[in-house]
Amino acid sequence: MTGEATRPLRVAIVDDEAPARALLREYLAGVPDVELVAECANGFEAVKAVAELDPDLLLLDIRMPKLDGFEVLELLEREVAVVFVTAYDEHALRAFEVNAVDYLLKPLAKDRLLLALDRARARLREGRPFPVAEVLAAARPAGAPLARVLVREGSRVHVIPIEKLDLVEARDDYICLHSAGNEYRKQQTLAALAAQLDPVRFVRVHRSFIVNVERLAGIELYAKDSRIAILRDGTKVPLSRAGYGRLRELL
Amino acid sequence: MHPILAYRGRLGPYLAAWVPLAGMLAALFHLVVGSTWPESLAVAFPLSLVYAFVCLAAWYPCRNASLSAAAFPRIVATQLLAAALSAMLWLFLADTWVVMLAQVPRFARLDERFPRIAPVLLGAGVLLYVLAAALHYLLMAFENARRAQTQALELEVLAREAELRALRAQIDPHFLFNSLNSISALIAADPPGAREMCLKLAEFLRESVRVGGARSIALGEELALAERYLAVEQARFGARLRAEWRIAPEVRACQVPPLLIQPLVENAVRHGIAGCLDGGCVTVVAERAGGAVRLSVENPAGDQAPAAGGTGVGLENVRSRLAAAYGADASVDARREGGSYVVTLEFPLRLAAAD
Repeated sequence: MTGEATRPLRVAIVDDEAPARALLREYLAGVPDVELVAECANGFEAVKAVAELDPDLLLLDIRMPKLDGFEVLELLEREVAVVFVTAYDEHALRAFEVNAVDYLLKPLAKDRLLLALDRARARLREGRPFPVAEVLAAARPAGAPLARVLVREGSRVHVIPIEKLDLVEARDDYICLHSAGNEYRKQQTLAALAAQLDPVRFVRVHRSFIVNVERLAGIELYAKDSRIAILRDGTKVPLSRAGYGRLRELL
Repeated sequence: MHPILAYRGRLGPYLAAWVPLAGMLAALFHLVVGSTWPESLAVAFPLSLVYAFVCLAAWYPCRNASLSAAAFPRIVATQLLAAALSAMLWLFLADTWVVMLAQVPRFARLDERFPRIAPVLLGAGVLLYVLAAALHYLLMAFENARRAQTQALELEVLAREAELRALRAQIDPHFLFNSLNSISALIAADPPGAREMCLKLAEFLRESVRVGGARSIALGEELALAERYLAVEQARFGARLRAEWRIAPEVRACQVPPLLIQPLVENAVRHGIAGCLDGGCVTVVAERAGGAVRLSVENPAGDQAPAAGGTGVGLENVRSRLAAAYGADASVDARREGGSYVVTLEFPLRLAAAD
């Protein structure tokens, strides 16, 4: 690891507890070729820091208020190496074992951190992608529907509680979430979101639309064999034949 | 369950006890009626054997008019009626048996002398039945006492297990690992602070082990333990964690099961404060409400706060411990009130250690 003009590893610390951040800072201070670019006290700050500072590596706590480590990961939408930092969490540990992702256990040991930094450097050098989707899938409790949808807008994060989500619409290569008169764009496919939503509450009524059943005001015959759904706020949503079938089955 | 028939090895001694009774009955016949010994024995033994079984039916009246539940006159009336019926049944059986015996040449004309045996038999029948009923009552009381003892033992084992489980669940590994991590962080930056936190952590652990072994402790002690817990957590959360205590002095001496309040405070930190970006205040209020203590723990509801009625392990634990200690006299209520989550306990104000 002799640094022949090696670029320093740019690291961001994300932990809601000040002592835990201080410890990581102290450990990192003595490591050559490491630059600490950000210290974040919560997930929102982490998303912002990644968007603005583009670190190479996140030292990411899992249990944090409002936005936990996995949710931060979901929102990043970009290649960044992650080493998880956790006190102990069966879910998390299982996720890491499946995917051979590095993690550190609290209380933190310095040599363990150094090893993790070396591995992260190797991963970045070889351009191996970080398995975000697999980690998230393994970390999420099986079968539990989404309680809220997270949307990132630049360095801002919007949290949409699932009961406030009215309608989801597929656009070109993103989806558009409608909630209380606002629209949010998210880089995801409609099918991927549909798989995470509660099927009793949300119905895919069309190839390009998912509707919150509680927002439904009525269904109208639009032309021969084609119907539209009217939402409470007056929005009209086309129903495909299969979508109409699914809706009738549920109601 | 029948106190004699339901147990292996009781019927034998019971029947054996009837052998001397049968002998006495034969002697009675011999003296009163002047029957020969073979005649007396031939009547007394089979009749005693039959009556031994008839008297086993004393269980039904004994169960119906139990010593603990029925009034005394009812017990007497029931048993006398049963005694009269049994004795009359016995008399009828005896008559039949004597008539049958009279067919045998050796006992010829025995039936002519029967009317003189009848009053003796009737008296003996009543007496023997009463003896049998007394035996049934005795055995039933014995079984009841034994069952009560077993139940008490089982209850004690259950309570002990619950305590152990509570203790094991008590020291949350997250709490310990995170605290050690904080100490590790303080060692370089603030050595006196690190030492102080070591001491606070040790104090909390020592107290929870000591208190956990007691059957009941003063509420004041329990609150001190919760305070120690918060002191450790405060080092981790810094300004994000604040605490407010409003404890009426007259409830501090109230005896409570140990580790009743501390889990609630721990929940308030883990599910409330830890879920809020800017943290908040844990408020503990204890006051007297008539003959009871009303104690509430309030915290800002983070995202993870369970809905009203909560299913948290900690809350469930508190609920079952309260129920074990006070039965229906205690209550637990957990609800969201606006942006807060409040758990309220009510339990009887008891000053002396309950034993």
